[in-house]
Amino acid sequence: MPPWSDFEPFIVSGLALGGVYALSGVGLVVLYRATGVLYLAFGAVGAMGALTAWSLGQAGAPGWLTWLVCIAVAAAITLAYGVLFGPALAKRDPLVKAVATIGLTLILYGLMDLLWTTSGGEARSLTLPSDNGGFSVGQIQVNWTQVIALAAGVVLTVGTGLFLRYTKLGTAMRAMANDREITATLGVPVRRVEAAAWLGCGVLAGIAGVLLADLVALDATTLTFLVISSLAAVLIARLRSITITFVAAIVIGLLHDLLTPITSLTNYRDMTPFVLAAAALLVMPRSQVMAQSREEA
Amino acid sequence: MGADLGLRETPGRQAGRRRPGRPQLIRIATITVLLLFVLFGFPQLLSLYYIDTMTQVAVYSMVTLALGVLVGRVGLVSLGQIAVLAIGAWVAARLLFATTQPYPVVLLEAGLITMAAGVVIGLPALRLRGLYLALITLMFAGAITVVLATLNFPNGGHGFTGYNGSLVHIPPIRRPAIAGGDPAYFRYAVIVAILMFALVLAHTKTKPGRAWAAIRQSEPAALAAGINTTLYKLWAFALASFITGVAGGVLAGAVHYLYSIGFPTQDSITLLAVTLMGGVYSLWGAVVAALLYQFLPALLNNWGVSADWLIILFGLGVLQVLTTAPAGLADQVPRDLARLGRRLRRSAS
Repeated sequence: MPPWSDFEPFIVSGLALGGVYALSGVGLVVLYRATGVLYLAFGAVGAMGALTAWSLGQAGAPGWLTWLVCIAVAAAITLAYGVLFGPALAKRDPLVKAVATIGLTLILYGLMDLLWTTSGGEARSLTLPSDNGGFSVGQIQVNWTQVIALAAGVVLTVGTGLFLRYTKLGTAMRAMANDREITATLGVPVRRVEAAAWLGCGVLAGIAGVLLADLVALDATTLTFLVISSLAAVLIARLRSITITFVAAIVIGLLHDLLTPITSLTNYRDMTPFVLAAAALLVMPRSQVMAQSREEA
Repeated sequence: MGADLGLRETPGRQAGRRRPGRPQLIRIATITVLLLFVLFGFPQLLSLYYIDTMTQVAVYSMVTLALGVLVGRVGLVSLGQIAVLAIGAWVAARLLFATTQPYPVVLLEAGLITMAAGVVIGLPALRLRGLYLALITLMFAGAITVVLATLNFPNGGHGFTGYNGSLVHIPPIRRPAIAGGDPAYFRYAVIVAILMFALVLAHTKTKPGRAWAAIRQSEPAALAAGINTTLYKLWAFALASFITGVAGGVLAGAVHYLYSIGFPTQDSITLLAVTLMGGVYSLWGAVVAALLYQFLPALLNNWGVSADWLIILFGLGVLQVLTTAPAGLADQVPRDLARLGRRLRRSAS
């Protein structure tokens, strides 16, 4: 076991990563509750946004513009998908809706590989100005990007909770999570509420894209499949509670990075989401899972 | 309400008839002629490049067959089937280096060990339905990629992993004595695939097939009808893992050298896409899916077109299948052709 001081820097990076996983997870849960769609293309749209931002940066666009473009691209693709395919698949099983988003993932994945081919060996990076500044807690260096990532996770989780609780749109989303048909009968403009949920989820995907491209790597495959970590958090929360999603995401991010200095486990640290999610499923009582599947169907 | 893809099945041809009728005899004859042509005609007609490609098609038709059983027959979606294939290939490669057992025995063992692994993973996941199973298999695929990257495929070294990083002359994974050359190995792969298709057919026409159909329609109803749903779901999972494990064994001999980068997570997703596009309700769908998955990329590669276009096409295909053509290309194309034929005849008269 390495000394504690080896672990210290990884607490910070783990919390930052956990923060981004949390905001992604919250986006996924809200969209799932409002529309019944588990958005597996979340990582891919973020990657698409980040790569577009990189290209703009290369062309000489100012930093702030590229980040906004990243968020806009992710939001636009997500909204377009939601408006086009949401109604067509609205009455289908949640599994079918989730598999359909795999179609979108593949389209984006192919496009990204075509437009920003990786075979040239070109290393890309997206850096935020907040990487340069920072402060230190004891021996640990903390940069502002890491602070922003964790803060974004916390603020968006709390903000989304309040939004769902106290606003009219949020109430409508919660109503639709319970029963789409009855909500429509009560005069809620169902499609518009769904579109709002898609847009919100897309914005979160864009934010996650910018942050992960900076914190982890700007690479289509990596960013597309980082969504697995958030999915694990969402699964542990049983696609329901945003509080549990937040806690699970932080734990996954933290555990993943804390395994880095341990030599025997460092190669296996990317298995963290799978191991935690599988363990959570094992302790989950069958009756609850069955009851919930019935409700979903 | 089931975890079914929510689709109607195409009206089945009259099953359970004792004496095969005339149309059925014609069907059997057509299939036999087709198979004989594939076995003996292909190696004569095709270049070595396409023979290798068709060997891959035979291998992956088993994988898509297994996934088709899970998705189409039972209504379980697995997003980690390439990881299962990797397990089968790993086990077969290890056994082929470590022992001098005949190839069919190794294939059987690879299938059985992969089946055991599949059951261990499936058991906790099968308590759940639909979405949860899909997610956990996706994570499993990611996890296996990580394990393989560290463990590596056996290359003739010693110890449990059979991997020796400092080996200079890596021996190729051996093939069966009777199928050393590429055309012969192609025939070998096709015959193994035919056996696997027969195995699935034997299941779907009998009790397990009916139990799966009931589970797919509605799990609570199947439970109420006295079907041991967990047993039959596990059975399907075990069967799919067995077939995929055997396919892994055939793959190991086909390529001679295996690398962990050859089994990325995204391939599991692409595989589900082509399986859905091919059609999950008929066995032909598995063949169509394997052609999409292995033959089309080889063709495009030959023409110098980027395979990325294909990935985009598969993405569009998934959306198209799920919104308009639930039974896939294997069902849609003959129907569309028949419709076209009728229209042509009508305009001619």
